[in-house]
Amino acid sequence: MTKLAWINFKSGFKNYLSLVVSLAFTILVLFNFQNLIYSGGFEILGTRNKEYVEIIVNMITFVLVCFMFFFIWYSTNVFLTRRKKEIGIYVFMGLSNEKIGKLYFLETVFTGLSALVLGLFFGALSSGLFQMILLAISDLAVAVHFRPGLKPALITAGIYGAVYMIFAVKGYVNLVRSSVLGMISAARQNEYVRQRRAVLFIKSIVGTGILGSGYYLAVKKDQGGTMGNAFGAVVLVTAGVYLLFGGLIPLIFQAAAGNKRFLYKNQRVLWVNSLIFRMKKNYRTYAMVSILLLCSVTALATSFAMKGRYDSIIQFENTYTFQLISPRDDLDEQAAAVIGEGNEISARSRIPILCLDSSYVDSRYGGSHYAILPWSGLKELAGEAGLDFPFEPLEDHQIIKVSHLHLMSLLTDQSNVTVTIAGKNYRQVEDTSIPYLGYLQEPMSFYVVNDREYGRLKPFGEELHTYNYRIKDSGNFVQTRDRLDRFVAGLEGDDTARIAIDPESNELDWIKVMYSICVFMFFVFVLASGSIMFMKLYNDAFEEKGRYQVMMNMGIGREALRKSVKAEMAVAYGLPFAVMGISSCFSVGALARMMFTDLTGINVVSVAVVLGILALWYGLSVRAYERNAGIY
Amino acid sequence: MNHNVEKENMASGPARRVHVAVVKDLVKTYGGKGVQTRVLKGIDLDICRHDFIAIMGPSGSGKTTLLNILSTIDKPTQGTVILDGQDITKVPNKELSRLRRDKIGFVFQEYNLLDTMTLQDNIALPLSLSGVSGSECVDKVQRLAALLGIEEHLKKYPCQLSGGQRQRGATCRALITEPEIIFADEPTGALDSKSGRDLLECFRMVNDSGQATILMVTHDPFCASYAKDVYMLNDGKILCRLSRGEDRKEFYDRIIDVQTSMGGDFLCQ
Repeated sequence: MTKLAWINFKSGFKNYLSLVVSLAFTILVLFNFQNLIYSGGFEILGTRNKEYVEIIVNMITFVLVCFMFFFIWYSTNVFLTRRKKEIGIYVFMGLSNEKIGKLYFLETVFTGLSALVLGLFFGALSSGLFQMILLAISDLAVAVHFRPGLKPALITAGIYGAVYMIFAVKGYVNLVRSSVLGMISAARQNEYVRQRRAVLFIKSIVGTGILGSGYYLAVKKDQGGTMGNAFGAVVLVTAGVYLLFGGLIPLIFQAAAGNKRFLYKNQRVLWVNSLIFRMKKNYRTYAMVSILLLCSVTALATSFAMKGRYDSIIQFENTYTFQLISPRDDLDEQAAAVIGEGNEISARSRIPILCLDSSYVDSRYGGSHYAILPWSGLKELAGEAGLDFPFEPLEDHQIIKVSHLHLMSLLTDQSNVTVTIAGKNYRQVEDTSIPYLGYLQEPMSFYVVNDREYGRLKPFGEELHTYNYRIKDSGNFVQTRDRLDRFVAGLEGDDTARIAIDPESNELDWIKVMYSICVFMFFVFVLASGSIMFMKLYNDAFEEKGRYQVMMNMGIGREALRKSVKAEMAVAYGLPFAVMGISSCFSVGALARMMFTDLTGINVVSVAVVLGILALWYGLSVRAYERNAGIY
Repeated sequence: MNHNVEKENMASGPARRVHVAVVKDLVKTYGGKGVQTRVLKGIDLDICRHDFIAIMGPSGSGKTTLLNILSTIDKPTQGTVILDGQDITKVPNKELSRLRRDKIGFVFQEYNLLDTMTLQDNIALPLSLSGVSGSECVDKVQRLAALLGIEEHLKKYPCQLSGGQRQRGATCRALITEPEIIFADEPTGALDSKSGRDLLECFRMVNDSGQATILMVTHDPFCASYAKDVYMLNDGKILCRLSRGEDRKEFYDRIIDVQTSMGGDFLCQ
């Protein structure tokens, strides 16, 4: 039995090739991510960053395993249907269902093993390159170790083997339970005529509604439920896209096929009918590919947004190199003299702040440290530090919130915000992240009020003075900090606090790794989408071979058939792409709001990149399809 | 040889008749240098407009090979086939496709309708691919479907039709481009006797009305009796030609007689 399975596997290897390559690719990706954790490449980032990176990699591993699960489920199903008819012939040779099931199981195991060997082999080969690319995109100066480890290989093989065996056993059980008739007619099981118009109509309406709701949730601004909205949007858009491909799109094509004057236009009659014929079987594939493409564009947009956000945060934090907070209002000159010793001070500012106990403040950011800034003082500081100050004078009931830059915020609606301070309600008219107080804006929440209100609020808090300095040469940081520490220690009393921001700090390097991983995920998703489409079409072509032979016998030239195939493939790739393109406006839009960045350009670029990659897949698919269908 | 066989000069027909195809000294050999099998051994045949010819012969006599060569699907080893004024043995493949599409109609034993489209679309397919406008396609399909009695089945898919309806659909598809000639390969082979009779009546009707020249390969004498002329093929050669008179039944009996006289190797396929 094993020998027969091996002979079958060898002789049919060409048919298995697309499955083996696709599986090997998922193994390669999984192995590379596992190898990242165990290769020790991120040790240099420090414990905290390494922990962050490991958390991210583990999350991505989870996503990849989910993807692998569905991918293996899908691909083994496709191949089971094809193989069922072929190996069903053994029924006539007197083989029992159990033996046929065993034959299939062994062939599947051979396929799985070859994919595993290939995946791990190329995974090991590419691991150095993978890390190098990842670190290069991350802009991290880490020496790359070409060190594919045994542990990640075992973990990858374990995960893959477990998932794969589930479906190999499932296939065995399926065959054992199959009737003889079911087995030999398996290849025709999925054929159908047309779907009922009423069912399609209902699916279209429900699908459009669900998809629309998903889009609405994605773009809806919210003051706290953004996470829920985002989750709801993901679920609804996924369901909506499935129903769109299962309802509206077939309905449109069936309507087009019903209009004969439209349909009878050269090859259109061929490919439109072919698409309709295959739609019921393929719509899940199209929907899955749309979702994967949407994930890929969103991942790329996330990457770009993170890069931009990281740069801004670094710039934000380095607005000042040193900050002093003190009850004394006469430290500016002395501190400037200490810092300026052998240094050029490139920015210098000061402002009084009124620190409030959090019990006096009622805002939606409960539990923070609060401080009040006077409007005129802030204007003066902006002038000193060379920062923008685009605000009109405030009225007594108005405040401006001075925040820090978030990597991502779930509060997307900043309208109608009211803050109660010392029993009085203020309407928040602005929320700015201009770094007036630099790093200090991160641990504290600042509100700007007009000078009269500042005076009124003085009895509720303690007024402190901040002194802010940025040095030009970051190489002098350590010496200057030590000098400043000695100066602060020498002051009478110990109420003066010193903040020093090391311009060379790598505390946020994990963000860099994250955005490079997002770029990688983009490619994984796009390649996965392409390989799913390719595999689907590759197999469809075998089923179509007979039809094309008939048409050639009728005198339909290969050229006409190839044109029809090209049009059909273009629609097969174009539909998921179009759905992704539209959906991405909403998903990337939602992301842009959460990250306070305009991602329109990135959205366009990432969609264009997807288009380019899909065009390559399209070319490959057309060629493989033509070859398999015998019209090349 | 039976005395009822009309011996005629098969290379030339009456002068007033318009030739659709002229076959001269057609030879087809299969196999390599060592073992060669001559399937056709010098066939001469004239097919004129409005002919309805049946080719009969025992298994292995070369009927299908002859049909494949005439219909441009296969190439001969020697000889010429003039179709539409061109020697198809010398025409490049691309041109042959055009010839098949525009000048030849096919009716296969297994119908060969595409199950991905409705009967209407199947019939319209050759026209659409030839660049005929949508409205003209629709009109032509309706007209021809009405003629062959399948107009009420146009919206159905092949799997929803009976064998006879499918074969009439296939005939409709073969006729739609108004080809010079229709080649039918065992057209009733997969049909029950009633459906087979209906189809042959359709063939006769379109032939009598001047809409088609038909060349049919069959092993069935009943089927052949619907033709105007029957050519008996044996061992790669045409042995004789039988022509129908007014009475089809009498023609059928003559075919049976010839078949009997040709011996026991005239096996049904």
